[in-house]
Amino acid sequence: MNKLYDNKVRLLLVDDEEGFRTAIARRLGKRGFVPVQASTGEECLEILGRDPVDVVVLDVKMPGISGIDTLKIIKQEYNKIQVILLTGNVAVSDGIEGIKSGAFDYLTKPIEIDHLVNKIKQAFEMIRLEEEKQKELEYREKLEKKMIDTERLASIGTMSTGIAHEINNPLAIINESAGFMKYILSTPEMLKCNRRGALMMGIEKIENSIKRARKITHQLLGHVKKPELQFSEVNLKALLYETFGLLKREIKDKQININWEIDPKKNIIWSDPYQLRQVLMNLLSNAVHAVSENGSITLSTREIDEDIILEIKDNGIGIPKENLSKIFDPFFTTKSFDEGTGLGLFVVHKIISNLNGKIDVASTVGEGTRFYIRLPKTDELNR
Amino acid sequence: MIKIPARVLIVDDEKDFVEMFSLRLQAQGEKVSTAHSGKEALAVLGQTTIDVVILDIRMPGMDGIDTLKQIKTLFPIVEVILLTGHGSTETAVEGMKLGAFDYLMKPADFEDIKIKLENARKRKDEQEERIRQAEVRLLLRRSGDY
Repeated sequence: MNKLYDNKVRLLLVDDEEGFRTAIARRLGKRGFVPVQASTGEECLEILGRDPVDVVVLDVKMPGISGIDTLKIIKQEYNKIQVILLTGNVAVSDGIEGIKSGAFDYLTKPIEIDHLVNKIKQAFEMIRLEEEKQKELEYREKLEKKMIDTERLASIGTMSTGIAHEINNPLAIINESAGFMKYILSTPEMLKCNRRGALMMGIEKIENSIKRARKITHQLLGHVKKPELQFSEVNLKALLYETFGLLKREIKDKQININWEIDPKKNIIWSDPYQLRQVLMNLLSNAVHAVSENGSITLSTREIDEDIILEIKDNGIGIPKENLSKIFDPFFTTKSFDEGTGLGLFVVHKIISNLNGKIDVASTVGEGTRFYIRLPKTDELNR
Repeated sequence: MIKIPARVLIVDDEKDFVEMFSLRLQAQGEKVSTAHSGKEALAVLGQTTIDVVILDIRMPGMDGIDTLKQIKTLFPIVEVILLTGHGSTETAVEGMKLGAFDYLMKPADFEDIKIKLENARKRKDEQEERIRQAEVRLLLRRSGDY
């Protein structure tokens, strides 16, 4: 029969009667199954704690921990393992109890070796099916989570732009009032006022706070210099160079190595260079902040179907697992307020979605972070 | 250089904003009129000579864009700067296509306002100057006919 398939089954044979056990093991070996052997439930559990096993063939009647108890422990600790019970011919009730406790099936002694082989194959097939089902389930959960994430981001986005709208109006009034007071304080008659300096300081604090609030609301509203998408041919490498130019000083200060792995043929896309520059600026400055001295940033591009994948990888501090799902949320930040508004990656996500692209992140604390950006090579709407 | 005051009309339903903004522009030496709705703005424009209108896009009743259309129909030479607190840059761009000079996001930087106001007034002055010269040419040609 199919040797390869048979050899894959990691089998453990447990029986206290050594003669019976070795005989069965030998006969199984001839059919391509080489079992690991154990003579007691304790030994069986010890082996399972050490080595991975797919199928356990387990005698019910054993000194020490009984077969049924061993089975219960196996099912509790290693839920993927399938167990085939071997019972004495008078103890059918043992077999039934075993099945109730999660055994795959039971065979009554004396056993037919081909029967046992078939059962082992069926048990192994069951494991494979379960694994497939599990994978499918995980995939579906991941997909659902992604959909929820996208919806959540969209609704948070709508809400926060609404709030930004409403805040801008009172902010404008505060701004004009402070500006007017500042003007009054600079008139000649006020120069004599001895508390003028203190008033001026207060107004400056108000003005700085207005600037801070305005930065947040304008960023939330996606206010960039070019409000509408303007598509043209974009050379990603040139755009990356240009963006690095803006970060030159930090790169030099930290002596960061930039590794270019950009294929010149897989580097031109039809997109909005202004919006993309904003994206690159946010991602690259994050990368620059994340790496320590002599750190490195690697940039690469590759092609999948009609899309270009740009990967920005750093070997910096990384993002803790619990933060990974939140980094695209508005206002999520681990920096202090004067370093970041928590909107950088939110804006990045928004822009990439607008450009019909996708962005994803993978990160390990202490090892670094990878951002994948997938963008269409051509704009389908304009074709 | 002596500053020639610009005749500015501020239109916004936010009364506090209009009040403070006009005080500030007056302090800069501009001549300021105010209105709190599109309708009111058109009434002011009918009575007073205005160089530049600073117009909020979102207002109850006649909104900024409708007001802009009316202004551009009735007083085509008057320049309009749109003011938006609502991030509706699309609307602002639409407004510029309808003849607005430029737009500003609330809260706007006062330096930006000053520059845009100055440029808007300059454009209106130049346009008026061209019209005057055209009129002169027209008169000369007519007198030549006689």
